[in-house]
Amino acid sequence: MQLTLNEKRLLLELVKCGTTTPEEMGVILDRPADSVVQYGGLLSQKDLATVERNVTTTLSLTEEGTRYLSEGLPERQLYNSFGDSSSMADLNKHPHAKIGLGWMKRLGWVKIESGNVIKTGDASLSSLEIHVKNLDNAPADIKKELIKRGLATEEESVRYVISITELGQKLAAAGIDLSEETGTLTADQISSGAWKDLTLRRYDINKHPRPVWPGKIHPYQRMIDEMRRILLDMGFTELHGSIVQGAFWNFDALFQPQDHPAREMQDTFHLAGKQDLPEGWEKVRDMHETGGNTSSTGWGGKWDPEKAKATVLRTHTTSLSIQHLAAHPKPPVKAFCIGRVYRREAIDPTHLPEFEQLEGIVMDDNVTFRNLLGFLKEFYTRMGFESVRFRPGYFPYTEPSVEPEVYIEELGWVELGGAGIFREEVTAPWGITCPVLAWGLGVSRVAMLRMGLTDLRQLYQSDIDWVRQMPTHGGRC
Amino acid sequence: MPVVSLPYKYLERLCGTDRKTIIEHLPMIGSDIERILEEQVDVEFFPSRVDLYSTEGVARAMRGFLGLETGEEIYPVSPSSISFTVDPNLKEVRPYIGSAVIRDVHLDNEAIISLMGVQEALHWVVGRGRAKVAIGVHDLDKVTPPFRYYGAPVSRSFVPLDFDREMTLAEIMEEHPKGRDYAHIVKDKPVMPLIEDANGNVLSFPPIINGELTRVTEASRNLLLDVTGTDERAVMTALKVLCTTLITAGGKCESVSINGVIMPDLSPETREVKVSSCNKLLGTSLSAEEMAEILRKMRFGAEKSGDNSVSIRIPCYRADIMHEWDVYEDVAIGAGFGSLNAALPTTFAAGCEHPIMKHASAIRDICCGLGYLEVMPFTLSNEDVMYTRMQRNPDPNALRVLHPISEEQTLVRTDLLPLLLDLLRMNKRRELPQRIFHTGDVVLEMQTYQKLALASTHPGADFSEAYATTDALMRELGISYTPRESSDPAFIHGRSADIMVDGKKVGVFGEIHPGVLNGFDIDQPAMGIELDLHLIF
Repeated sequence: MQLTLNEKRLLLELVKCGTTTPEEMGVILDRPADSVVQYGGLLSQKDLATVERNVTTTLSLTEEGTRYLSEGLPERQLYNSFGDSSSMADLNKHPHAKIGLGWMKRLGWVKIESGNVIKTGDASLSSLEIHVKNLDNAPADIKKELIKRGLATEEESVRYVISITELGQKLAAAGIDLSEETGTLTADQISSGAWKDLTLRRYDINKHPRPVWPGKIHPYQRMIDEMRRILLDMGFTELHGSIVQGAFWNFDALFQPQDHPAREMQDTFHLAGKQDLPEGWEKVRDMHETGGNTSSTGWGGKWDPEKAKATVLRTHTTSLSIQHLAAHPKPPVKAFCIGRVYRREAIDPTHLPEFEQLEGIVMDDNVTFRNLLGFLKEFYTRMGFESVRFRPGYFPYTEPSVEPEVYIEELGWVELGGAGIFREEVTAPWGITCPVLAWGLGVSRVAMLRMGLTDLRQLYQSDIDWVRQMPTHGGRC
Repeated sequence: MPVVSLPYKYLERLCGTDRKTIIEHLPMIGSDIERILEEQVDVEFFPSRVDLYSTEGVARAMRGFLGLETGEEIYPVSPSSISFTVDPNLKEVRPYIGSAVIRDVHLDNEAIISLMGVQEALHWVVGRGRAKVAIGVHDLDKVTPPFRYYGAPVSRSFVPLDFDREMTLAEIMEEHPKGRDYAHIVKDKPVMPLIEDANGNVLSFPPIINGELTRVTEASRNLLLDVTGTDERAVMTALKVLCTTLITAGGKCESVSINGVIMPDLSPETREVKVSSCNKLLGTSLSAEEMAEILRKMRFGAEKSGDNSVSIRIPCYRADIMHEWDVYEDVAIGAGFGSLNAALPTTFAAGCEHPIMKHASAIRDICCGLGYLEVMPFTLSNEDVMYTRMQRNPDPNALRVLHPISEEQTLVRTDLLPLLLDLLRMNKRRELPQRIFHTGDVVLEMQTYQKLALASTHPGADFSEAYATTDALMRELGISYTPRESSDPAFIHGRSADIMVDGKKVGVFGEIHPGVLNGFDIDQPAMGIELDLHLIF
């Protein structure tokens, strides 16, 4: 059993006296009494001693109470300040008028008649006056009254009694080495070689260390970086772009009909100001109205350029993909983007007005729908989802469309995003002739599944303790 | 997306198979199962497939998908003498009307519920909340043709559905529940659209409400459909979906003449599709026969018409087929996505990180090395957090959203430090010291930029810590700077400095002003640093 020098010294003294107080022992050991309590505590953890904690409460007069002891309580002072009667107005000039008058009335010393205070003749000592001089014997209700009036305070005093146990006796009987132990090594001791003669104090490894919190990357960002790594490893170019987009790129260029409910104020954050349409916008108009030069019929109706000039907070990063394609219409193109997108939704545990989306495209001569499924499967497998399946989906800008799902033990098949091949109505206006595989995957959904979260807000309004506790590597993340 | 309730008994009867098989295959024809209940399954279908918004439509698709009945359904339309006249006054109000007669229906309760379901779904998806298209279904035997669709004054009255007294159109728009919901579509028009029979009985006040007179019940045998709207194509789509649904339910369709035009036209559209284009898009190697067989499973009419071509007949209810690729998607669904042998694309390209992300990674390394914990606050914020509590003047260039959803999110952040202080407020019960940072997008004058902010709170957080941390940060970023006394009111005067690079202010650091700490309800001293990354990279 490892004891510090102080514990050993206390134990040896306890052998002599059996039971002691910290104050007595403090004198003997030349240590403050509270240190002795601490040593006793350490011994008691090892069952070598017991520390008994006795709490007693004592009542003592406050400064105010002490003053009244000689001057008399305010009601007595007030009583003595006038003759048989006094007008209320005169009495109110006395410094204790406020408190004194109430008490005089309550005790029956005075009565009030038509604005005058008249002594009743009976002003014997009140029980407060009696007990303020003899606190210890005061009954409980009087004590309470004194405390309430601020004349006395109750103080807790704690007294400790330290006693040796049988185990302590046995250990001491076996002999205790009292040589000095060294805590912190000094530079001098190291360089002079003095360390050779020192006994270095041992530490208790069962005692948990103080927690140290390193700086670190947010668990959600680490997951985003993991996804970025996968895509960079697969040879994708990363995109980054403006949060603010024209409705043209966010909706029209993606063949979203102009009367689609998702475009309305109710679902999308609209901003003041208009954005000019890019060169070539007429071809997008033709796609909507008639299908342009493709085999498509288009949506029919009139396409309104003013509607396309509206400005919105991007509802998906697909607006960046299509702009990237319009600028790079020749194959091959492999690009991705993880960025924040905005939907006009009220905040609740599973809905937020802003969240991350992972967006990607592959454009090349011979890429096919099979390849899209192949990519999605590879991505989710690399993210640690073993079972992936594909279900038909619908998005206005892709055809065929697919919704990948992963299998989660307690949840069954969980949909994690959407994908498809960009419709010709989307690619043709920009002179793109190859198929474009495209996908938009929910990132925060994956984070919730991986980190076992039930409330999305934890990602954005993080409890610092949660971030501190989430392991950087291994564990669930 | 609308949710369609499919009652098992009716569904099983129409499909000719058991519910287990149906439920298993539902997701694979393109639906999301919302919930599986005792008597029914509730599913969401995609807005493109309005033909699946009824039990009848789902059964039709399911029978094909399971191979129980393939190829196109034929929808015969017999002539009738029923006609409508359309008032030219409606041209600017609600010009288009489609109609048809369905005879010999025996609608049980489930079929009526299914009919109401498809009507509701069409109102939302095709009709855009009845503005573009609205549908009425009537008991034909209660009224006398010919009918007229005309512009009526708001003083015209009739007994609307679910009421037992006559009301004027004006009253209906104010008092009837449907009137309150849909009056906005027509109330500012000079005349109201109304459908009447030869005796002046009102069938419908589209897009708001039908008359009580023509209410459809289980006893109704002959139905009259009216579909009105502002877009002819959408009106016809809704009409065709309704007619085909009712024919599948057992009815016989008769045509109606509208200003001399005979409708509905339920004949399929024919197209030739190339087998090679389909294989090229899907990555398959199907033959013309195989492709035709799969399309028949998807309820197209389809025959091989050459080694590389299939001649198809597209059912009239498939309004979603706009382009050849829409047909190829059905080939993929019919074949089963699972059978397509997913394979990685072979396109080679070298991966390339975006420079902004590269900077962000380096910044994260530096901040973590300095002992800072990353946080990822929202980008939407409000004037109070962004400016008022910071004791700063509101930035006129901040991007404010036009219709915020709450007072908490009225603008896109222009700074990051306020959000860090707000997070410290939320974490004030957590162990100190707290040192946090964030790097990310801000928006100023419609442009997206990147910033970095760090904040630290504990009893010793002060200017010296801010200065030392800024100094380390700038050293690690490899950028030399000079401090200049700052007058930023978010910091204590005399305990803050602007970060100057090449004579330009790129950031600020210092000890947070106690007024700001009070504003954020932070009890301990705090220091903060904010850096405009686009000004230094």
